Amino acid sequence: MKDQIEIKGLNKFYGKKQALRNVNLTIRQGMFGLLGPNGAGKTTFMKVLVTLLPRKEGEITVCGIPIENRAEIRRIIGYLPQDFSMYPSMNVAEALDYLAILSGLSGPVRRERIERLLARVNLTEHRHKKVGALSGGMKRRLGVAQALLNDPKVLIVDEPTAGLDPEERVRLRNLLAEVAGDRIVILSTHIVGDIEAACEDIAIMDQGQVIYDGTVEHLLDAAEGQVFTITADKKELPRLKSELAITGMHSQGQKTVLRFLSADPPPGAVAGEPNMEDAYMLYLHKNGIAAPSREPEEGGR
Amino acid sequence: MLFVREMKKIVCSFSWVLFVAAIGIAMYTQGVFGFAQDLLHKPAPGENYGVKQEEIPEQIMPEALSKLWEEFCANEYKTYPIGFIKTVKLSEKEQKKMAGILAEITGMDAGALLREGNRQAPADSDGFTMEMNGDLVQNSEGEFAVAPENAGSLHVDPDEADGAGFWQPSVQKGMAYEEFRELMDRADALLGGGSAYEAASLIQYGTVSLTYEEAEERYDLAVNSDRITGGYARLFADYATVMVMSLLPVFPAVILCMKDRQARMEELIHTNRVTAARLVMSRYLALVAACILPVLILSYVSNIPLWGVYGGMNLDYLAPARYTFGWILPSVMAAAAVGMFVTELTGTPLAVAVQGLWWLLDVNAGYRSLSSSYSLFRLAPRHNAGPRSWFRTQEYLEHRDGLLCNRLLFVAGSFALVALTIWIYEQKRRGRIKDGISLVRACSGLGNRKGQSEA
Repeated sequence: MKDQIEIKGLNKFYGKKQALRNVNLTIRQGMFGLLGPNGAGKTTFMKVLVTLLPRKEGEITVCGIPIENRAEIRRIIGYLPQDFSMYPSMNVAEALDYLAILSGLSGPVRRERIERLLARVNLTEHRHKKVGALSGGMKRRLGVAQALLNDPKVLIVDEPTAGLDPEERVRLRNLLAEVAGDRIVILSTHIVGDIEAACEDIAIMDQGQVIYDGTVEHLLDAAEGQVFTITADKKELPRLKSELAITGMHSQGQKTVLRFLSADPPPGAVAGEPNMEDAYMLYLHKNGIAAPSREPEEGGR
Repeated sequence: MLFVREMKKIVCSFSWVLFVAAIGIAMYTQGVFGFAQDLLHKPAPGENYGVKQEEIPEQIMPEALSKLWEEFCANEYKTYPIGFIKTVKLSEKEQKKMAGILAEITGMDAGALLREGNRQAPADSDGFTMEMNGDLVQNSEGEFAVAPENAGSLHVDPDEADGAGFWQPSVQKGMAYEEFRELMDRADALLGGGSAYEAASLIQYGTVSLTYEEAEERYDLAVNSDRITGGYARLFADYATVMVMSLLPVFPAVILCMKDRQARMEELIHTNRVTAARLVMSRYLALVAACILPVLILSYVSNIPLWGVYGGMNLDYLAPARYTFGWILPSVMAAAAVGMFVTELTGTPLAVAVQGLWWLLDVNAGYRSLSSSYSLFRLAPRHNAGPRSWFRTQEYLEHRDGLLCNRLLFVAGSFALVALTIWIYEQKRRGRIKDGISLVRACSGLGNRKGQSEA
């Protein structure tokens, strides 16, 4: 059985609207990042992979199993949906036990695995807490635990860090990296930092298409020599924002340091080391899909 | 194990507590916990033993004709075409046809009957009848007067309002009962069906008092066949089915099916290894078990006090269980299956309305035969007999095969609905059915797999 996911010529429609356009990907063991703006088709793609949505055209094999063989696919896949929740009146252990029973795990295996997973996601001491009373981060960790219940070969997590505080985000990213092991873990997100920290191979999606498929390193290399910083007066900001593809800025006293993408930098600009966010924005910009000149978050790198 | 978990989900909910409370209250109002105050006793000579219905043409023909004549005069016929009471008012032309039928029954002239019927039509609702000879005319000053013939001859007779002094037609001599039944069937058809004149309903006009021997025979049957407690258990089953158990199970079914959606767990479960058949069937069986369990307990609560009262007699201690599973269970299964099916199909609580309507129609369909009804499609079969009528065991035994067919049909129908629910669940799981009714899309996909993927 090949430990990879192969997708060839995948097309998916919602009525007449095409949600996925000729997606071709090979996803190997380890953490695989799926990056793209909201509405890029990432969730649709994930749902097709976990058999929640039928496809229009294309071939998909997961570890050598054709996607049509839903029962087998469900046996080897663990899924953490974007809108994750569980019965709020159940406690953590009960909720996991219920899903483990659904997975057909026998009593001793179930008990051992639940204990192990609770320890792994650091929820052992919260095992009697009602699901409805968990914090957002704890709930996501519970989500990871439930996705691992059947010891899947493939773990698919959709926007797991959305809405979490920075500490929980880091904790969850580390957890996913830990559990990756010899699994295929697909991490879908619109948060570039998650991918940068955890993944080696990535794909960028936009408007249902895969516009980049390769390594993080290659993406960063492509941005080499095109990232600059410039220090400017605050009163110059409106002009610079309209002229430059800004990816970040932060205040320095009365001045503002702007980080931007350019093949032809203005005088006074200093070359910078590209990071993942720069590379991602540059890629979108080059493909004419997104305008990176949009105002970035204050304090961005 | 999954069955146990699903059962726990149901019985550990507030809605189930309400469900049990509703059953308890409904059964209490029917007096099923006071059976010990209404005991079966051996009939003694000279008592009133009650009545029974029998097809006695000499009694049925005049009684049915009298009722038809009364409704004909008022031109207000009560029918139950789809269970609900409906008052039918015939047009002039239709009344002439009805007069024709009455003419064939009585051997009189249809026109005369029509005139007499009009004359006897109730004038008001105060219990008085006004009889006026002559025509009502308006004079030049705008006042009304009776004129000109017999002017002023106005007769008001409150006694006649009771109908005591009114003329009634009678069945013509020599009319065969079969012919009478056919004519009554025609009258029923003219009224749109569901009237008290359809041939099958005519027996209600024939009642006869029980003899001592018959009463004794009934008692012996209750003692030997029902073994006393069986009759009480059957009465409990009758009340439980018609009052609550053919309706209420739809509520926990809807709540259970909507729980995944409310908890946003649908995607988690849909991508789980569990098969749709195992999940839906486990839930269904858990639902049925959770619904029938309190009824079984209440049935014994109702029956156990009798064990002491009839101590020393040969009692049927398993009767509450047999009637709970044999009589009540199929209705519970049907209501739960409707609840699951409609909820999975639509993603809404519409099933409550669907089951409510079915229950209402069924209850009203049995209105004309309150005491018993075992027809094949009755959601809640009836055998409403208190111990004072010695359980009417013979009637039950005569209809037991029909009842068995009815109950088996409901069990089979329930499982068929569950099978459909499994299919729908699998279609939702594959993304072919989303929220709400998308059955057309799913069905079109059966013949065209390409089309399915566009869902």
